[in-house]
Amino acid sequence: MIAYVEFAKKAFAREATYRMEVFTEVGSLVVRVYLLRSLWTALYAQNAAPQSMPYHSMITYATVALLMSLILEVDGTRAIRERIREGTIATDLMKPISLPLYFFSDGLGQTLLHAVLVVPSLLFALLLVHIDVPSPSVFAAFALAFLLGYVVNFFLNFLMNAVAFWTLETFAIQLVVRWVSDLLSGQIVPLTFFPGWLGRTLFALPFAAIYSTPLLIYVGVIPPAQYGRYLLVQVLWLVLFGGLAALVWRAAQRRVVVQGG
Amino acid sequence: MPIIRTDDLCKTFRSVKRESGPGGALRTLFSRAYVEKAAVSHVTMSLEAGELVGYIGPNGAGKSTTIKMLTGILVPTSGSIEVAGLTPYRSRRENARNIGVVFGQRSQLYWDLPLVESFELLRAIYSVPRDRYRQNMKRFTEMLEMEPFLNTPVRQLSLGQRMRGDFAAAMLHDPKIIYLDEPTIGLDVVAKEAIREFIRDVNTERGTTVILTTHDLADVERLSRRIILIDNGTIIYDGPIERIKEQYGTHRTLVLTLAEPTHDAGLPNAELISNEGRVLRYRFDRRTVRADELIRIAMARYPITDISIEEPELESIIRRIYVEGYAQPDSKEQPV
Repeated sequence: MIAYVEFAKKAFAREATYRMEVFTEVGSLVVRVYLLRSLWTALYAQNAAPQSMPYHSMITYATVALLMSLILEVDGTRAIRERIREGTIATDLMKPISLPLYFFSDGLGQTLLHAVLVVPSLLFALLLVHIDVPSPSVFAAFALAFLLGYVVNFFLNFLMNAVAFWTLETFAIQLVVRWVSDLLSGQIVPLTFFPGWLGRTLFALPFAAIYSTPLLIYVGVIPPAQYGRYLLVQVLWLVLFGGLAALVWRAAQRRVVVQGG
Repeated sequence: MPIIRTDDLCKTFRSVKRESGPGGALRTLFSRAYVEKAAVSHVTMSLEAGELVGYIGPNGAGKSTTIKMLTGILVPTSGSIEVAGLTPYRSRRENARNIGVVFGQRSQLYWDLPLVESFELLRAIYSVPRDRYRQNMKRFTEMLEMEPFLNTPVRQLSLGQRMRGDFAAAMLHDPKIIYLDEPTIGLDVVAKEAIREFIRDVNTERGTTVILTTHDLADVERLSRRIILIDNGTIIYDGPIERIKEQYGTHRTLVLTLAEPTHDAGLPNAELISNEGRVLRYRFDRRTVRADELIRIAMARYPITDISIEEPELESIIRRIYVEGYAQPDSKEQPV
């Protein structure tokens, strides 16, 4: 167990050495917050505001979604793909550790550094745009949903990167899944905006568990009475993807094809 | 009780058959014709604890595939394998605690971190007790002279420094067995010697079992008594180095240094290879003529100031075996 804590610490330290990248990230986030506010302001000025999402909720939604992406876009499992390509996965496998857990800890370490960044970004964002701050109980539900979404997101990334065990190259798959999930997870547009059957389908997809559920809890579209139902759906996706990841990992270990050497 | 035992071990790789030409490339994209290649076939071997064995073979002979199966990262196609009482591919993680690995071409150190931090991470991975860790670190830092670069990031180390770091990293958790894959590749003479010294010490002092895979036969000649030769996935020789030398190294070279140059340099049953004025070199077959006879004749003929006999290098012997194939000692001996 100590080893995994060490992995997370080392990943945190490693990420922190790329200072320029860190500052650029905060800067670009602030710009994106401002642009998104302008976009939604213009859209709301031209159209009748939807019942479920008044203007203020929308600005809050878009801003919090951006802050979340700072954490969720960290992909610790990307290392799987790189290590398979370089062949170093062989030396990793010669260690007495669970590699999925290793990648999770490494990703967590990176995430924690990015989480620290969220604080100044949040302050800037609050200066630029006014966002709603929910009551502590709503915030707690949001935090829990975010945590569940984080793990679902980890498993999804893990599965995508583990494809490299079979194809050695996963860039195209990554790109497609990334596009699809950005749109369908509610990161860009709230899923409540999609009409009829399309909206219902999107809510049923696993991507909704990543962004949509925590965000809709935050802005109050999901009322406290329905928390249980939505969180349960998240847990179901988590268990399903977790099981799938375990199966894929077992199969992958049996077919390690080490590049070179 | 052998510490490593393989029985009839086989590994066959299946790869997509590629066809030539632009049309062929397209066909490869859609067709799924496979070719099978036996990387390791029917390998049976057994090592006692504390042995130091050279595992030798040309490129693609199946050395690395065998090592990968012993470390548990490749599953054999058939046959059985046991390392320190475990079946490696079934218990990869327990097996990993018993073994250390050094790849000459690939580092297990963490690229961005100072060397010492890699060691600390490995301490956590293998849960090495703190005092044991301190003892080992002290000993290895001394033996491998790592003090000056312990705090340097790995990516800034020279190859020789990195290899020394890799050796310490592989031995930190006191493994029972250590696999060395081309550990001296690309190193200068001094660094090679330091690494060989370390391997010898680890083997004798700690009783660590060592499997040494290398192209540099000088490593093997200096370190081990037993070699296993593999070619095309099959073991062709397993035994002491002396025996293979005796069997194949039938030629010796006699070097004479004379007080003054001579023109008439012939000796019976020996072939003059070079005559550099005062230094004469003869090749002779030890089965047709004995060295002392030859020397007696030479002494009677020339004013000799120095005599030496050169043994054949293991390298030239092995090269011959690869080209000609290995003949079992009981079969007809090949003419030289």
